Amino acid sequence: MDIELSSEDLAFRDEVRQFFKDNAYKPGDDYNQWRLDWFKKAREKGGWDVPKWPKDFGGPGWTPTQHYIWEQETARATLPWDMPFGVGMVAPIIMGYGNEEQQQRFLPDIRARTVNWCQGYSEPGAGSDLASLKTKAVLSEDGSHYVVNGQKIWTTAAHIADWMFCLTRTDDSGKKQEGITFLLIPMKQEGIEVKPIITLGGNHTVNTVYLTDVKVPVENRIGEEGKGWTYAKGLLQHERTGLAGLSRSLVALEGLKENARSVTRGNGTLMDDGSFRAKVAELEVDLLAAEYTELRSLASAQAGAAPGPESSILKLKGTEIQQRIQKLTMEAGGVFSAAWGDKSVGPKFARGGMAGYLASRAYTIYGGASEVQKDVIAKNVLGIKRSSK
Amino acid sequence: MNFELSDEQKLIGESVERFVQDNYELETRRKLAEQDPGFSRDYWAQMAELGWLALPFAEEHGGFGGNQIDTMVVMEQFGKGLVLEPYLASIVMGGGAVKRAGGDLAAEVLPKVIDGSRQLALAYAEPQSRFDLHDVTTTAKQDGDGYVLNGHKSMVLHGATADQIVVSARTGGGQIDTDGISLFLIDADADGVKRDGFPTVDGLRACEIELKDVRVGADRLLGEAGKGFEILSAVANDAILALAAEAVGAMERLYKDTVEYTQERVQFDHPLSDFQVLQHRMVDMFMEYEQSKSLLYRATLEAAQGDAETAQRTIHALKHLIGRNGIFIGENAVQLHGGMGMTEELAIGHYFKRILVIDSQFGNADYHLEKFAA
Repeated sequence: MDIELSSEDLAFRDEVRQFFKDNAYKPGDDYNQWRLDWFKKAREKGGWDVPKWPKDFGGPGWTPTQHYIWEQETARATLPWDMPFGVGMVAPIIMGYGNEEQQQRFLPDIRARTVNWCQGYSEPGAGSDLASLKTKAVLSEDGSHYVVNGQKIWTTAAHIADWMFCLTRTDDSGKKQEGITFLLIPMKQEGIEVKPIITLGGNHTVNTVYLTDVKVPVENRIGEEGKGWTYAKGLLQHERTGLAGLSRSLVALEGLKENARSVTRGNGTLMDDGSFRAKVAELEVDLLAAEYTELRSLASAQAGAAPGPESSILKLKGTEIQQRIQKLTMEAGGVFSAAWGDKSVGPKFARGGMAGYLASRAYTIYGGASEVQKDVIAKNVLGIKRSSK
Repeated sequence: MNFELSDEQKLIGESVERFVQDNYELETRRKLAEQDPGFSRDYWAQMAELGWLALPFAEEHGGFGGNQIDTMVVMEQFGKGLVLEPYLASIVMGGGAVKRAGGDLAAEVLPKVIDGSRQLALAYAEPQSRFDLHDVTTTAKQDGDGYVLNGHKSMVLHGATADQIVVSARTGGGQIDTDGISLFLIDADADGVKRDGFPTVDGLRACEIELKDVRVGADRLLGEAGKGFEILSAVANDAILALAAEAVGAMERLYKDTVEYTQERVQFDHPLSDFQVLQHRMVDMFMEYEQSKSLLYRATLEAAQGDAETAQRTIHALKHLIGRNGIFIGENAVQLHGGMGMTEELAIGHYFKRILVIDSQFGNADYHLEKFAA
């Protein structure tokens, strides 16, 4: 066992730090221009704009340790705004299952961050049980296009998206996982209506998307008709491992301690309060362990082995840790966390404290509710067989 | 041993329940919360007419002569409807302080509070005070036959719409001394009073108040000079009991709505309620609701009938348990509703928000556990 980084890895870390420093946003810069330039420069570094893409498609071909270093450094730096739906989610599917024409058509814009994507998966009747989705796609008689009708829900960023990658049902005669087709749908067209959903934190990030007789050219179908579930399943796996956010939690924990030290309590501060300090300490203990769970999982990936059982708990632990940080931040703000909207009263960090905590409740719901994740672990990792009911 | 409410209390409870059913549809509440003044003056007049504003006050002031049990009956129903009117601020807190101070001021003010023509608020918190009622930097300097007030009061519940505000200020002692705090009744529109109102997470309203050379006559002093902390503590206890009753009402709706929803929502070809892990979670929610209700009864009965020291300890226990169990029930209600639980559309999110704000008022779960253990 050895946890020292090699001299190559240390050099890589310094290079990453230098890059972030050299290309940091300066007040007064045009934000959008800076953003696009940043990704261009990251690309010139040899695929740093798409760290997780395979080398064949322009990715950097990093080792797992390099990925880990990148993740740690990005948690402390301010990177340009980026949505996961393009580069992180639809691109791997287009690379894996799309044809060459589709790859040439979609990947360059995705990579340049000039188009926005959203994910049309969940439906009112298909949440955790995604495969029960009903949005119908019917191939036209001449075979030139599909006509799509249905409703998608919890669609993050649909209101600013140019494209949606969408799971549709083309056949409901067999098992529900069969007969699902993966379509790429332009959002700015007749028949698509986006309605905002306001969530508990008071934010508008998710939407309902209504599709009425939406025409989708057959060239926009990824892979074979009816095989969409297989393609999406790989992506879901991908989404789940990306959600632990431990590096960011470590940074947030430091912020939490600093904030608590700024809250006066009689003659001391909130960090002198025994029960609060104990909760922060418990959180830190769990985080220290989770960090090594992640490293263990990384090490086995480095060695080319299949992900070990430990990797299955990362999303669960990671999101639970994020929620606890939000909860303690709310508690640290005391009654001032209750001010709504942009109103700032009391300590600065308390602004929106309760809204932030409320928003964090979704972490254990989206991308597969925790209860469903545990079912999967029980079955696939612990090997528990259910006797049929 | 008798946990039955009196016939009178039962009638009040039923009448509040009916009022909530008839007047507090989620959509109605949303509209009221969004528009100024953030509640319905019409409802307030109805509450006065029905005698609810008179409940905790003495008969000599036109009150009903009730106690904490009567307030509990009202607040539990209010909790089920997430009622917006300033009952807590004006009747329990502001009115409670005036009531406990007694004297000429009580005789002057309370009849107007009871008939609904005047609303009160209580300004006790300050930017640095966190949950300590005795951490007060606002000053009241004697000047001729009156006082001059200077300072900043924070998160004053319904302060922006109140006609008069009870303010804690130092006439002596150091920043965290319990001695030397005095309570004054000031007019909200007096010279030197600057109010900045805003909504809170639960749809209610609060405000920041700046006091700059605010002059008040000596006759606006509530109770004895320097002895305000005793009144403040007693009012805080009443407020905690009222908030806990409201929270228990909200918890009941949270667990019952969840039980109902999981039986309707089908995933994996089963209602969610078929899954044992969710059944057990809901049983836990139910258990913690019942425990909260028991401790609410215990603290309320002790406050109304028992000795003060025992009641004080149980009130600390209650505020702790309400915070802990309320958040547990709220978090799980959202979790079991899935994405729907995260929306403003369903009631459960609104109950959960109210429970969070309740935990943050008059000391959170941690604060009271420490007091209880002390």
